[in-house]
Amino acid sequence: MSLGELPDNPATVRGRLDLLFENQEGQTILKVRRQEQPLKVVRAFPLPGGGSLVHLHNLSGGVLGGDKLEVRVEVEPGTKAQLTSTGATRLYRNLPGVEASGQLYVFSIGENGLLEYLPDQLIPFAGTRYRQQTRIELAEGAGLFWWETVAPGREARGEVFDYDLLELSVALTKGGRPLALEQSILEPKLRPLTSTARLGQFRYFSTFYMVKVGLEKTAWTRLETCLNDLAGQLSVPGETLWGASCLWSDGVVVRSVSRNGRAITRGLFEMWKLGKQELYGQTPTLPRKIY
Amino acid sequence: MDGLRLLQLLQLADSALPTGALSHSFGVESLVEEGFLRVEGLEAFLTEYLKENGLLEANFCRQGFHLAKSGEDFSREWQNLNERVSAFKPARESRQGSVSLGKRLIALALQLDDFPRLRLNAGQQVHYCAVFGLLGGLLEVDEEAAVLAYLQQTTGSLISACQRLMALGQGQAALINWRLKPAMLKTAQASRENWQEAGALQCFAPLSELASMRHPNLRTRLFIS
Repeated sequence: MSLGELPDNPATVRGRLDLLFENQEGQTILKVRRQEQPLKVVRAFPLPGGGSLVHLHNLSGGVLGGDKLEVRVEVEPGTKAQLTSTGATRLYRNLPGVEASGQLYVFSIGENGLLEYLPDQLIPFAGTRYRQQTRIELAEGAGLFWWETVAPGREARGEVFDYDLLELSVALTKGGRPLALEQSILEPKLRPLTSTARLGQFRYFSTFYMVKVGLEKTAWTRLETCLNDLAGQLSVPGETLWGASCLWSDGVVVRSVSRNGRAITRGLFEMWKLGKQELYGQTPTLPRKIY
Repeated sequence: MDGLRLLQLLQLADSALPTGALSHSFGVESLVEEGFLRVEGLEAFLTEYLKENGLLEANFCRQGFHLAKSGEDFSREWQNLNERVSAFKPARESRQGSVSLGKRLIALALQLDDFPRLRLNAGQQVHYCAVFGLLGGLLEVDEEAAVLAYLQQTTGSLISACQRLMALGQGQAALINWRLKPAMLKTAQASRENWQEAGALQCFAPLSELASMRHPNLRTRLFIS
């Protein structure tokens, strides 16, 4: 899906954010090429080691039915960017006749660059129809920490899997060749998510990719073992499960399912700490916000 | 489809063909061990499994089938297809199991007949679903029959794994396999209708994938994956 392929509707908005992270004397600097409401960035915070942290704001407070939002981020060679959201992304219900809302994320990470994209959960409200596509292209030596967690809905209101459509696709590529591909179409009213073939008794699910192009295979095997040891410590039978696996090339993926969203958030930070230490010899800096 | 093609297809899809399929559970062993899958829920599980993993692999099988007729770009397209399959399989053990079966099927096929397109470059990763489809195309069997045979073979292997993991008798296993035929047909039909569409390759099976990722850490294991 590209946003241009979705039909326009005057009641909806098209928001765009186009960011460039460039190197200025060893410090990563944010350059905002374009920002159109409701998407906005306010400022960049310097990180230890020369990186830059940016919070992505959605002034609507969430994605409204029919909205088409597009985020493009270029991380220049040798720069380090950390992106996060300001809170959970609420996916509001679609009114009858309104197109599915959509977000397109396109990330490009230059040679020896690093992108850490660590957003809060997606919360699809009852009646939501939403499509999200994420494309991440990595150059030689480029690194990535990218996670995504999806909640079942507004649990406190008793909304569990009441959305109509959630379509999530992810393509991680290096030189155009796929490292990891996902295309999930969740239609809980047509295909029960409670099937053991999907989520079983769990309600939240999360995926966390750690990639560093060019690293030798033995390093990934070692990291897989370390992450699975941690997964064993974080898993609680019947509540939360964690697991990790090498990708076919250049990375590992961590997956989790849980009955509790906070357990996933805590576990992701632990996984991130371990992965960052193993791959970069650094302790990650938590994004500046309240969890 | 003529009689000879039918017989060849039946042999390729037979569980007695020594590909090593019976050594893999593709995560089912963990699902059973961790208490998520029991005999009473097996048929429902496999019905939904076919809609996710089954449909994804049926699409790859169909893509492999069509590559049998591709031209000079075959080697590049064949590599691209298998890389896509690898990229869609996040769990290492299941991915390696799929490659192991794919390579074994090719080795067997080359013993049975001359298939120049099946001769691999050293180190090439090929997946069972894609190889099965390609082989069907090279044998010029009916496309639908090839996809259905693939679904029948892989579903049968999972049921067979469950017989060794649960209190599932032969009669009950046969009954479940029999009852799953409409689900296999629906999966093949869904694949036929959309396999060429950009968004057709889809699968949402986080618990099965996690089970496969957690499989290496089981205390005792009957299966390689």
